[in-house]
Amino acid sequence: MDLLNSIWRNPVDPDYAKNATAGPPRRQPAFLALAALAVGVLVAVQGSLSLRVAPNLEQERRDIVARLRAVEQTNDQLRAEQERVAAEVRGLQGAAGTGTQARIDEMEPVVGARPVVGPGLVFVVDDADQTKQGAARVADVDLRELANGLWQAGAEAVSINGHRVTSRTAIRGAGSAITVNYRSLTRPYKVEAIGDPKNLQARFAATSAGAWWQALRDNYGMRYEVSTSLQLKLAADPGLTVKYASPEP
Amino acid sequence: MIALLALILGIVIGILLEPSLPPALAPYLPIMIVAALDALFGALRAYLDGMFSDRVFATSFFSNVAIAAGIVFIGDQIGVGNQLSTAVVVVLGMRIFTNAAAIRRQVLHA
Repeated sequence: MDLLNSIWRNPVDPDYAKNATAGPPRRQPAFLALAALAVGVLVAVQGSLSLRVAPNLEQERRDIVARLRAVEQTNDQLRAEQERVAAEVRGLQGAAGTGTQARIDEMEPVVGARPVVGPGLVFVVDDADQTKQGAARVADVDLRELANGLWQAGAEAVSINGHRVTSRTAIRGAGSAITVNYRSLTRPYKVEAIGDPKNLQARFAATSAGAWWQALRDNYGMRYEVSTSLQLKLAADPGLTVKYASPEP
Repeated sequence: MIALLALILGIVIGILLEPSLPPALAPYLPIMIVAALDALFGALRAYLDGMFSDRVFATSFFSNVAIAAGIVFIGDQIGVGNQLSTAVVVVLGMRIFTNAAAIRRQVLHA
């Protein structure tokens, strides 16, 4: 505490006192002017730096947000367009009456290429209360566990925040966001699963994913709510095409 | 009078100089300003005590600013720049407060 004491007792440079005892102070305005010049430069540089940089940052942020929104809107439009064209293709296939139509009708809901309706479960999960320090957040692995547990419990179709989970779906973390089908999600996460409403929930609770989420809720305070619904509608995954794979002849 | 003119000249130079300032210098400016404030308050108190000296003021001012910037620069190089700037601000802040309180007592006699 010697340092703090000496700062407290001798806040003025001791040289002032030494100089004063040596004799009457001689005025040397050049030194004063030099220091004043430096003070002016320092304050002016910092001041104009703050004035110039702050609005620029805000402007840049707004530009990026606007661009992001525009891109997301284009993406949504393209998706809707794709779904419309896919419906048209299905109509044409039906009109052509090809023999494979029945097979297509059978397979498309299974793989996720067609919207499906049916009864099932709705999970709403979310981060723990963020006002507390170090509060737990839902990670990509948690959602992956949840989706895998639903398949294991016998779900026939699963979607996360409206994005259908298929055999080609990646649930992964990108920075602080979780992406499904390469689209980032916003909280809270709503996972819908179509399956037998009577025993899907019990079978899910018996899987390791059920225990996983039970633990997340009990130990980390995450939100985890399950409800049954008799009428769920899950959208198709419009990105479900193959480029390199072709059916075995 | 000369000091006032120099201050205004400095402000003008600073405004003209600012766009050409290398961005690497920007983090050291706030800490240099705190050091400058410390020297200014010390000088004001010495002036009120009747023992102000231009030479002591100028040397204490420039050494304060240079040492403050130097400490933070070294801290940045070894990865404790933030902590060292906190240390500099705490020490200089204490001195500024003590001097400001002494000046207040002397000027207002309260």
